Amino acid sequence: MLERIVRWARRKSPWILHFNSGGCNGCDIEILDLLTPRYDVERLGILKEASPRHADVLLCTGPVTRQSRDRLRRIYEQIPAPKWVVAVGSCSCSGGVFRDGYNVLGGIDQVLPVDVYVPGCPCRPEALIDGLARLLEMI
Amino acid sequence: MTEWLSVLFALLVFPGFGFLLACALAFQWIDRRVEARLQGRVGPPWFQPLADLIKLLAKEDVLPVGANEIACAALPMVSLAAVLTAALYIPVGGWVARTFEGDLIVVLFLLSIPALAYFLAGWLSVSVYSVVGGSRSLLQFFSYEVPFLMALSGPAILSGSWSISRIAAQQSQAVWLALVQPLGFLLALVGLIGKLKRSPFDIPKAKSEIVAGPLTEFSGRKLALWHLTMHIQMVVGIFLLVNLFLGGSDVGVTIPGVLIFGIKALFILLMLSVASALYARLRIDQLANIGWRVLAPLALAQMLATIWIGGG
Ligand code: SF4
Repeated sequence: MLERIVRWARRKSPWILHFNSGGCNGCDIEILDLLTPRYDVERLGILKEASPRHADVLLCTGPVTRQSRDRLRRIYEQIPAPKWVVAVGSCSCSGGVFRDGYNVLGGIDQVLPVDVYVPGCPCRPEALIDGLARLLEMI
Repeated sequence: MTEWLSVLFALLVFPGFGFLLACALAFQWIDRRVEARLQGRVGPPWFQPLADLIKLLAKEDVLPVGANEIACAALPMVSLAAVLTAALYIPVGGWVARTFEGDLIVVLFLLSIPALAYFLAGWLSVSVYSVVGGSRSLLQFFSYEVPFLMALSGPAILSGSWSISRIAAQQSQAVWLALVQPLGFLLALVGLIGKLKRSPFDIPKAKSEIVAGPLTEFSGRKLALWHLTMHIQMVVGIFLLVNLFLGGSDVGVTIPGVLIFGIKALFILLMLSVASALYARLRIDQLANIGWRVLAPLALAQMLATIWIGGG
């Protein structure tokens, strides 16, 4: 019973933290679209938090570069459990256009366990909402 | 035995924890919803504050190395306790748990404990952001608290009593004090926004500047308690203003007092939401300037005028 209530609460209030580990900023702007009147994800209970300590879901954009790898890992570790990771955009799914760069390691899944992949360059806000909805179903 | 039961009832159900919790969640939802509607958004569903609270309570609780663990656990509890205690002295719908001559002063002191705890929380949780946020919150405290206190002393001087329920009762025979002292009411509202650290005075927790202010390093249960403290503080503050300026729950009118009280409280809540949707965040130096150059002199003038005309 208690477990069911907690699971319900988690599904209804995922707070997101957004981190760009080396993308072109295109996907980040699409993430900000989610907060605008047109897409308004607050109706799903999603809030954008600034501190990793308050967040539940880590939204990653961009490929992982050698520079950002340690920071990404550190931010992931700062999020209290239970936590989930969503890879947003082609870059963070596979490396995308930056794939063969000398300083690029590849997608987010090279460093962190990814729960949902949202492809697209940049991904559409609708796709992003769909990805988040799939994540919430998984929870 | 029955006395004990009634004390327990007052502490746990009405007007204690249960009632305040329900009010806090409801007010929180109305506030978020109104703000979203004003921005052309849909806003969260009604159970959102409850889901947030349960989720935070069930989350892992971590603190950075070097933070003072005991203090960080005690501070949110102390401030929550202070706010809940303050609520006992505030009449709701013509009903009050405890009252004595001078309880207004006690309530004001209890309501300023969370501000100090907030500062200490920032100071003790070893993060640059929280230290900056903590010092900002202290500076903000000094800017709004003085005009707030002076504005609230207006009704007390006019009715010749420092007991909240007596001030409220006197207005139901005469006219609402918000009509006699519109300036004082406005100053008290501004002071309340500062006290609740709501936008446009959310300087200590400015998201785009210093992450989350003093609460940056708090997570899980402690964060939930902090949020709960803030939300209950909002309820208590609104109830206080209703009693002091809007005549509480006009006794003697045909409509039940609780209903009237609720409508008045919603009116003040609406004003707070509109203010936070309307104005952008000030800088801390701007707030200090406004607090000491505009609000404090106005409040002083209001107080002196009240003493001169009314208090005699
Ligand atoms: S997926 Fe495309 S838009 Fe998104 S960060 Fe990569 S290159 Fe930019």
